[in-house]
Order: sequence, then C-alpha cells, then structure tokens
Amino acid sequence: MLEIVALQAGYGSAPVARLPELRLEPGAAALLVGGSGSGKTTLMLAIAGLARRFGGHARIGGTDLADLGGGARDRARARMVGFVFQDIHLVAGLTALENVLLAPYAAGVAQDIERARGLLARLGLAGIAGQRAERISRGQAQRVAIARALMLKPRLLLADEPTASLDDQACEAVAGLLLDAAAEANAPLLISTHDSRLKARVALHVQAEAMA
Amino acid sequence: MTTLRLVFAFIRRSPLGWAFHVLTLALGVGLTAAIILFGNALDDRFKNDIAGIDLVVGAKGSPVQLITSAIFQADIPTGNIPLETAERLAKNRMVAASAMVLLGDNVKGLRIVGATEGYPAFYGASLARGAWYAAPMEVVLGSAAAETLNLDVGATFVGQHGLTGGGEMHGEFPYRVTGVLNETGTVIDRLVLTVPESVWRIHEHEAKEEAEEKGEAAAAEPRPREVTALLIKYRSAMGAVTLPKLAAEMPDIQAAAPPVEAARLRSLLGTGAALMTWLAIALLAVSGIGFVISLFAAIQQRRRELALLRTIGTTPARLLGIVLLEASLLGLLGGIIGLALGRLLAGAIASAAGAHGGPVLAIAAFGPFDLAVIGAALALSLIAAAGPALSAYRTDPAQILKAAA
Repeated sequence: MLEIVALQAGYGSAPVARLPELRLEPGAAALLVGGSGSGKTTLMLAIAGLARRFGGHARIGGTDLADLGGGARDRARARMVGFVFQDIHLVAGLTALENVLLAPYAAGVAQDIERARGLLARLGLAGIAGQRAERISRGQAQRVAIARALMLKPRLLLADEPTASLDDQACEAVAGLLLDAAAEANAPLLISTHDSRLKARVALHVQAEAMA
Repeated sequence: MTTLRLVFAFIRRSPLGWAFHVLTLALGVGLTAAIILFGNALDDRFKNDIAGIDLVVGAKGSPVQLITSAIFQADIPTGNIPLETAERLAKNRMVAASAMVLLGDNVKGLRIVGATEGYPAFYGASLARGAWYAAPMEVVLGSAAAETLNLDVGATFVGQHGLTGGGEMHGEFPYRVTGVLNETGTVIDRLVLTVPESVWRIHEHEAKEEAEEKGEAAAAEPRPREVTALLIKYRSAMGAVTLPKLAAEMPDIQAAAPPVEAARLRSLLGTGAALMTWLAIALLAVSGIGFVISLFAAIQQRRRELALLRTIGTTPARLLGIVLLEASLLGLLGGIIGLALGRLLAGAIASAAGAHGGPVLAIAAFGPFDLAVIGAALALSLIAAAGPALSAYRTDPAQILKAAA
C-alpha cells in the first residue's frame, strides 16, 4: 500500500516538484508522468527517503521513510523498496548472483542464495548467474536488477524511466516483467516515465508538477 | 556478498593502477626500513664493540681514528705508546678494568691482536673449545675468524706484516691455535688474539735483522716496548674527570672517549643516511599523493555504482568502510612487500660492508620493528584514503541519478 499526499520534494533549500495525491493498492501499478525536468526522479527519490521532503507524506505500508533517521532509513529502504533504473543496474566486477545478493547485503539481513538463484531462474537468467556484470547484456542486466528489487519481498517497487532507451520489443518485455513482478510480490508499482508506449499498458497516470 | 568481495570487485577493475601504488608504497617503505635496519645494526655494533670501555689512550692523532683502530679494528692506528706509560695509567686507582692492545700483523686480512687478558674480558668472550693462550706465538681465534681461516685447535699458520693482506710473511714465526671463542656479536669475533709478547718478538726480530743488514751497532740494544692503545673502564664517574686530564699531560699521548667519537662517526655516516632518508620520505610522499589521486579517480569512476548502492539501502558508513578496507588491503600488501624489500636491501648492504673490510653487521631479527613498519604503511594508506573515503561517504544518490537521467 502506497499513500502519497501533497508530496513536495527537492534539494537544498527549495522544492522542485510536487505530487498532489496517489493511493496504490498492493499489486497495483501507476505511472508517474511529466515532461523532462518536471521532477519525476526527484519525487521517486523523495518517496524512498533519498531527496529532501518539503511537505506532505509518502507512506509505504504505513511507514514514511522521511520520519526515520539516517541509518534506520537506509535499512528500512533496503528492506521495503525495490528500485529499478534506466541504465544503472549492476556493480561491475560482481557476478549476476552477487548483484542480486547486494540487496540483503545492503539491508544487513541473511543472504538467501537459493532465493536469489530462484529469482534469476524465473527471470530466465539461470544460465548467467555466475557471469560477471560487465559481460552481461543491458537487457539481462536490467532483469538482474529486477531480481534484486524483488529479493527482499519489497512493499513498494519503484522504476525510474525503465524503458527510456529500449526498442519496442524490449520495452514490452520490461513492462511485462515489472507488472508481473509487482503482482507476484503483491507490492504497488510506481513507474516514472515519459514513454508513451508504457501509457498504453498502465491505466493509472499521475502527473509530476514542477515547482518554480 | 561481503564488503571484501565488493572491494575485490573494485580493485579488479584497475589492477595495474593498484599494482603501481603497491609498488611505490613498497619502495618507499622498503628504503625507509632498510635505512633504519642498517642504522640500528650499526648502532648495535658500535654499542657492542664499545662494550663499556670509557676511555682509549693511544698515540696522538685523530681521536676518531684512535677509536676506529683500537675499538672497531677498522682503521690503521695513530701509532704506538710506550708500554711503561700504559702500565702506569692502568695502575691508576680510578681504573676499574683495563686492557692493552697491540696491533701489528694480519692473517688473510684478519687482524692478529696482541692483547692482555682484560681485552676478551671486556667482551665477555669465552672459549668454545681448546684453551687460552699461555705462551708467545699461541693464539685464540674469534668465532668468525676460525670460520674464515678454516682453522681449529692445534693448527698452525704464519702471519703477514701489516693490518691488511699482502704484506711480508713472517715465515719463521708460525702461530699455533690453542682455542676458539664462542660468538659474542662483537669485534672480537673477527680477531686473532695472542699475547703482546708474540707481536713484540716478531717485530724485535725484524728490527734486529734490518739493523744487521745495515751493519748498525745499535741493533744489540732492544728498543723500549710499546703497545697501540690502552682501553680503560672507570671505577667511578670521577675517572672521567681525572684520567683524560692525566693522559693529556703526557707527551705524545691522547685519550678519546669511545661513545663521543662513535657519535661523531655516526653523524659523519649519518649525512649519507639522511640523504637516503629524505629520498625514502619523498618516495613515500609520492606514493601517498599518487594513492590519493588514484583513489579519488576511482571514487569518481564508481560514483554511479556507489549511488546505486545507496539507493538500495547501503549506509554511507558502509561506503566509507569499503574505501578504507580497500586502502587497508593495499597498505598491508605494500607494507609487507616493502618490509621484505627493506630486509633484503639492509642485508645486502650489511654483507657488502662486511665483505669490504667494514664492520660485520647483524640485521635485527623479525620483531616489533617489522610490525611497526607494516602498521606505518597501513596508517599511511588510511591517511591517504581519508579524503576519498569521505567523498564516498557523502555520495548523494539523488544528484547522481538526476544527472544520469
């Protein structure tokens, strides 16, 4: 369950973006839309407690990460939020499996290797679990990142421009994977995008409002 | 997944860069360690060889030379002094212990030293086998001398005139080995000891022959006997006041305090060592600066991945820890390799010095010093890593992801 009310986010001393209202039930998906510079990424980061909050709430299963102090907020984010990005997916030098295990490593919880392998297998990546990140294709790397986002059974999935530089087929595949993942994890999914192809797949759109 | 695994993943990305850093650190550490090890060995050698001797009385000349010849056995003497003078001083009530040494000949470059019994006593020398010399032309060998000459109890050999090899052989006066000493870690290990009479006998015979050749009548009259130096240990601090003064009043005599002259000698040698020390410090500084630069570059290169790690919940403290762990590993590796290099270098210099007639130096065994060297390399790396680590700590995922989007 994700509840956002009058969220204002930014950096330094001034808010740069606003999101008036959003309620997402577990397993439901929404798009955060807006043109370049409308502050979509800033709002996503604010929901995850990584950008400065200037007003409003963003509760994940009743918890607002902004209410928690430094270390506790980081650990809570590690456990509760699964992140997928446009082009930063993996840490080079580590294998695909190790990249999935970064999630429990960051959260400081037990590393369930079997679960990590199972997730990679479900995403069709069983064959590359032992491959180093730099030898994995971009599409595969993003799927490894999805596996990592699902690793700790998150209560919210955030995807920041996940399809921005993909062709139609890959875009379709990633959208499908993310929606399936949200349904399977029973977590709300919020995708920030300006990709019109995604708008056809997800009905609920909320507008990021730039603040001068 | 562990922090160590993550550090290895980062290091593996620029192996040559890290290898270069480890190398420069190792060279700096190695040179510094070698200088210190060698200096310590030299200090130990000085201390062992001085063996509590407070004053050396010998012929006028350079006081440093008097000490290097009579104590360290590494220089030619300033001359000889009358036996009678030495005996008179030795009987002074301020003298707790004394020994007379008489330098004259060598065997294969090893000095044959005529010495009274006080001399081995200064060094706590004891017999490994055989017996002490009792009569002229009997000798006791220091442990290293026995090894070098490959002689043992009962063997005989002839000496050569002078203090280094290549002099005239005293063929008609063979020495006989009566004993071999235990190792003392002092100058005595490399000496051949005998009674002063042996040296007197050879040289009086020589003088006589020479005189006879020239047909001089004076040959019949024996010259007054001489010794090279008198080594003195004071009974009390008062000795330091009265004895040098007493010696100074005698004609053609000088007295020198070994600790003072050794310190002067050390400062002479120290000029070269200081230069090397500065070189080592420069190397360490270059290594440190290079490390700071490459680590900052590495953090820059990893900015996006560090940001990724932050967004998935890694704490800033952990990112700081990753950089510090990386620096520790490289510091440890550089320290260990550097220490090994330093020990090799110090050992090589010491054995080169020994092979060229210098003092035999023993490089200290592995101990707290080595741990301190590795610790210092570690500390240097951590200091160099402080800035980059702080920069990693401050990674702001928002700014970086925004820039990427």
